[in-house]
Amino acid sequence: MRTPQLADTAGAAPHGLDDVIEVGGLRQKYGDFEAVRGISFTVPRGEVFALLGTNGAGKTTTMEVLEGFTPATDGTVRVLGLDPVRQQRELRPRVGIMLQEGGFLGDLTVAETVDLWKGLSEDAGRPVTLSGGAELPGRLTLMGRVRGVDRATMGALELVGLESKARVKVKQLSGGQKRRLDLALAVLSAPEVLFLDEPTTGMDPEARRTTWKVIEDLRDAGTSVLLTTHYLEEAERLATRLAIMHEGRIHTHGTVEEVVATSGDRIAFRLPGTAWTFGDLPVLDGVTPVLTYAGGGDGTAARSVTASSTASSTVPSTGPFTEVVYTLTGADTETRAHAALRPLMAWADGRGAALERLAVRRGTLEDVFMRVVGEQR
Amino acid sequence: MKTDVLHAVRLARLDLTLVARNTTVLFNVLLLPLLMAWMFTGAQGGAEVAGVPGGAFVLTGVPGLMLGFAVFINLVNSFTARREELVLKRLRGGQPSALAVMAGSGLGALALLLGQMVLLGIWLHRTEGVLPANVPLILLAAVLGVIVFGLLAAAFSGLTPNAEMAQITVLPVLMVMLLGAPIAFPLDVLPGPLGTVSGLLPVTPVVEMMRTGFLGADHFSSGGEALSTAGQWVAALPSIGIMVVWIGVTGLLARWLFRWEPRHG
Repeated sequence: MRTPQLADTAGAAPHGLDDVIEVGGLRQKYGDFEAVRGISFTVPRGEVFALLGTNGAGKTTTMEVLEGFTPATDGTVRVLGLDPVRQQRELRPRVGIMLQEGGFLGDLTVAETVDLWKGLSEDAGRPVTLSGGAELPGRLTLMGRVRGVDRATMGALELVGLESKARVKVKQLSGGQKRRLDLALAVLSAPEVLFLDEPTTGMDPEARRTTWKVIEDLRDAGTSVLLTTHYLEEAERLATRLAIMHEGRIHTHGTVEEVVATSGDRIAFRLPGTAWTFGDLPVLDGVTPVLTYAGGGDGTAARSVTASSTASSTVPSTGPFTEVVYTLTGADTETRAHAALRPLMAWADGRGAALERLAVRRGTLEDVFMRVVGEQR
Repeated sequence: MKTDVLHAVRLARLDLTLVARNTTVLFNVLLLPLLMAWMFTGAQGGAEVAGVPGGAFVLTGVPGLMLGFAVFINLVNSFTARREELVLKRLRGGQPSALAVMAGSGLGALALLLGQMVLLGIWLHRTEGVLPANVPLILLAAVLGVIVFGLLAAAFSGLTPNAEMAQITVLPVLMVMLLGAPIAFPLDVLPGPLGTVSGLLPVTPVVEMMRTGFLGADHFSSGGEALSTAGQWVAALPSIGIMVVWIGVTGLLARWLFRWEPRHG
């Protein structure tokens, strides 16, 4: 098991014989702008590795370097032991790529698009036979030739739930349906490594779950997956390990459990009514509070504000998405959190403060994400 | 190599399918040059040009126009639109090599050009009673023309920000092709230096090779004397040389300017 850590730009990734993706000290510059600032990680065979981060964090840039679209400015990158740019010809038949958007010819039908891609793939004819020879159950065996659409094409479309759209032009598909078609194309040649750039963006909840199932089946069949996503729930469900990127750096990585554990326990509440300043709030277990904005509901971006830096500022009481949060990290956080409730209640009683929605809870991936993003603002 | 050829053929077939489904492109690429050929032949009346009937002179020069429409404009549009819609990026992320992607577009354009030339040949035979004298020379001219104008299209697509702007960026090249090449008139009607420059344009050698190949006479000079097949090849050598130089020049331009995906930021 790898130890979770707050990563910096130093240190090469540990090399393992069965690592299908190896990234060491990767830097990527566009002119004066450094999109990726020295990141390192590895992905072992059969693992789903998720890259999380805000827009502009460097996830897609990292993905594109690994896919061989652009050479790295600095650092080492290997996929299946090959250089993605110099050994592109050997590598491409062994990887599947799902772009973040677009890339379709709108005047082709869905089936024609799959047929075209099949014709351009080395392994045309065994479209959804997965790595290791496994087949997704019940996919290819049931469907025969359907009005000019061959069985392999229908199998690929069934895989992503698009079989009823086989004869529809791609330009008539919704955004979510195009993402599903993209996934079908990415898995056509039974790749050993699959790059999925925000695979479920624009999908309805049902399609999202179908897609998750496909990815899980691929993983179980031995396919390694590098995934970027904005959906933390998606990363928690699919990823064996994940990394949170921000402004071109990896700030935290490890298994989902390891990363979440770094978040500790929380005491959270809201303070409606009377205007309070941060300086009024008590210190609990040696911890000063943080005000979090979940963002989105009032049009603001998600962020955290530390009380210590704004002691004289007023704690907003009207925003429905603001919480005062104490985060306890280190050993035995659950017991310490409960112990800290006593002085908090005493403080509230003494000042006549109403602690709305008071709760003690385990940290979540979202908390870690918010902490990483907040720390950098 | 075999895979590259296979991929290029499949991509060419795709291009032809898409052209057939788009009536605007179909009109611009296929019918517009033929319509212009009809207008030019009408304007020539029955007069002789460079020793051949005006109609035959124009029709054997029209492949130069077709290079402009079926190859250059068509490919600038196609490369630009596909780049902006990330189709080129998707293709580049797949198994076809860069060479196969470019060759596929070139092959599709060549098929369109040859299809038009078959129609042109039928027209030429029915109206002027002319049968092609040297088909291999005509085919070589078509292939060289498609390579040069395909590479030029790749370069120009890099200068074109979007598919709408493609209608404007292709205009300078199209105007030079229309006015500077011996499509409807011989080069010697142009004043001295202009005639020399026009002779070096990439479309001129193609038109001269086509005309010589169709009519079996020397149309590399103003003489128009009948030539044997071997004589036609020997006379074509300087034109082939000019086209080879243009392949080098346009190849460098394409390498420098062509882009697989939209610019960042």
